[in-house]
Amino acid sequence: MKKNKLLLLSAAISALSTVPAMADDLVIGFATAQTGYLAPYDQPNLAGLQLKIDEINAAGGIAGKFPIKTIIKDTRTDSAQTALVAQELVDEGAQLIITPCDADPSIAAGMITQDAGIPAISFCATTPTLPLAVGDHMFSNYPADNVQATMLANHAIEQGYKTAYILTSPDTAYTLKLPQYFGQVFEAKGGTLLGEGTFTMGQQDFSAEVTKIAAMNPQPDVIMTAAYEPDFPAFIRQLRGAGVTAPIIGADAIDSPTTFSLGELAEGVVFSTAGHATEGSALEAFNAKWQEKTGNAPDTIYIANGYDLGNIIEAAVTAADSVEPAAIRDGIANLENLAGVTGPITFKGTNGMPLRSVALVRVKGGDRELVAQGLPEAADIPAP
Amino acid sequence: MEIFLQQLLNALSLGGTYALLALGLAVVFSIIGLINFAHGELMTVTGYAVCFALIWGMPFPLAVIAGLGVAMTAALLMERVAFRPVRGASGTTLLLTSFAVSAILRVLFQNLISARPIPVSIPASLSGVVTIGPLHLGMIQLISIIVTLAMLLGLNLFLHRTIAGRAMRAAAEDFAVLRLMGLRANSVVATAFAISGLLAGVAGILWVAQRGSVDPLMGALPVLKAFIAAIIGGLGSLSGAVAGGFLLGFIEVILQAYLPESLLPYRDAFAILLVISVLLFRPQGLLARKTLVKL
Repeated sequence: MKKNKLLLLSAAISALSTVPAMADDLVIGFATAQTGYLAPYDQPNLAGLQLKIDEINAAGGIAGKFPIKTIIKDTRTDSAQTALVAQELVDEGAQLIITPCDADPSIAAGMITQDAGIPAISFCATTPTLPLAVGDHMFSNYPADNVQATMLANHAIEQGYKTAYILTSPDTAYTLKLPQYFGQVFEAKGGTLLGEGTFTMGQQDFSAEVTKIAAMNPQPDVIMTAAYEPDFPAFIRQLRGAGVTAPIIGADAIDSPTTFSLGELAEGVVFSTAGHATEGSALEAFNAKWQEKTGNAPDTIYIANGYDLGNIIEAAVTAADSVEPAAIRDGIANLENLAGVTGPITFKGTNGMPLRSVALVRVKGGDRELVAQGLPEAADIPAP
Repeated sequence: MEIFLQQLLNALSLGGTYALLALGLAVVFSIIGLINFAHGELMTVTGYAVCFALIWGMPFPLAVIAGLGVAMTAALLMERVAFRPVRGASGTTLLLTSFAVSAILRVLFQNLISARPIPVSIPASLSGVVTIGPLHLGMIQLISIIVTLAMLLGLNLFLHRTIAGRAMRAAAEDFAVLRLMGLRANSVVATAFAISGLLAGVAGILWVAQRGSVDPLMGALPVLKAFIAAIIGGLGSLSGAVAGGFLLGFIEVILQAYLPESLLPYRDAFAILLVISVLLFRPQGLLARKTLVKL
């Protein structure tokens, strides 16, 4: 008798804890970081996507018939926890799973979702090998490292720079590979790489490295790094402190308020990012809408990027006319020239890393100035 | 030769910051046998205090003073709320308590303030360069060397010339006897935490000045370095902590400067190897204490 009661109780609890999904609900599971070092990237993406989901549900769901239900779980920026959460989400019936802004936890989650036949999209992982490591159900939602690096190298060549120095950190694929892709393209187009320095992430001490750069003769025409906070501001402060004046090229992770608050130090730094709000652009309209909804101007491109993920999901489900995971996967994989707020997005013909335009911006007077926008020639992009 | 001298200066500046941090750990450990892993969060608190003081329009020097005040208050609060109830418990209990305090504070920062780094506008005058002959020294590097020396001198005077300082040294020797002499244990421990808060505050401001932002997790790495420095120096020995800090800074800078390029990615592994070899020859650390704390 007692046993029966227990069974009944546990059945009741498990019934309560699952989402009461209707047949036509699209259940999206979030295995993303609310805490830990990925939270600064996952949270703004989530906020942007949430806005899109609210808009969709207010209109009665995708195509008026598929309302979206979300299950959000914190991964604590831990790969093992991300895999665990992904398994829970699969068990709870998620038909699409969103993974964090980094390749490692996304691969951990992807191993689960691939086997379950459920499509997974990373908020903003940029490592081009991510879908190769997981399989045909893994996608990302950001311009890949090798694409960004090609745009940056093209810019360096156009500026007439002949020699370059790259600073890498083996701690992540992003900080290691992006500058190396840059070096490959730069050399392929006639530039010379004078050297490669390394740093440990989070260490903040670049004095020894900077002394070596200052002692280089001749000085490099340009220095390229994918370092970001807190390393990037510390690096540039110490580099200028050692009297090195070479221009600096960075990558998308320094698109943060800190970079623009560095004043004279960051003046002239050029970096790649997912979009730029030119006059009359969709991004400008989105920024205005965000300001109206929240009272604050968006302080990072990741908010618009999250909103674009909503656009991708909406377009894929509309095309599939179904919320079956396999149909959604095919829907995403066949998207072509989707008009996102950051620019056109194409998955068709890729391995899962989208073709999206990259914007190059220059820091000028504490604000941003557009240098170039678009996609590089496919032949110039180094293989992952 | 010039480059070598420049690297020595770099080592002095980095080592100084590590020394301040290690000293903050050692001051508390020498009295109550606790390695306070929430020491890094005291740096973060200082960073946020300076950041908000600047946002509210305080001039930079006042913001620095406010930051130091907040750091000392936070250290005292930490002692009162978390560590006093477990004082005298086993080392493991103390260690786990400090991990808990650290984890709780980080989650609070992430959820109540922001998961993203908040920029701190450091005055442009701190980005300057001082040129001494052929050597360049960043303003912040120079300040960190001067401040470290001043703090060491000040702490030394405090420990040797004041009653509270003598009480702290006595407590480090034998806490039980100190209490038999009629000195209040609570006030001695509180003094130790206030000093450690001040040291964390100074190191926190130097750290934030380099990076130009505050984020919830920024205390994690420095406290790890401080721990290594304190271990090399000999846990609980104040002069050992300083020596350990400078030695660690020296090892890191020299390896970064003179390892061949192909081995540079393994710099941290080499640094830790050197630390282990120091410990093989001096298992108690460079300047081990002769007496052990018994509570």
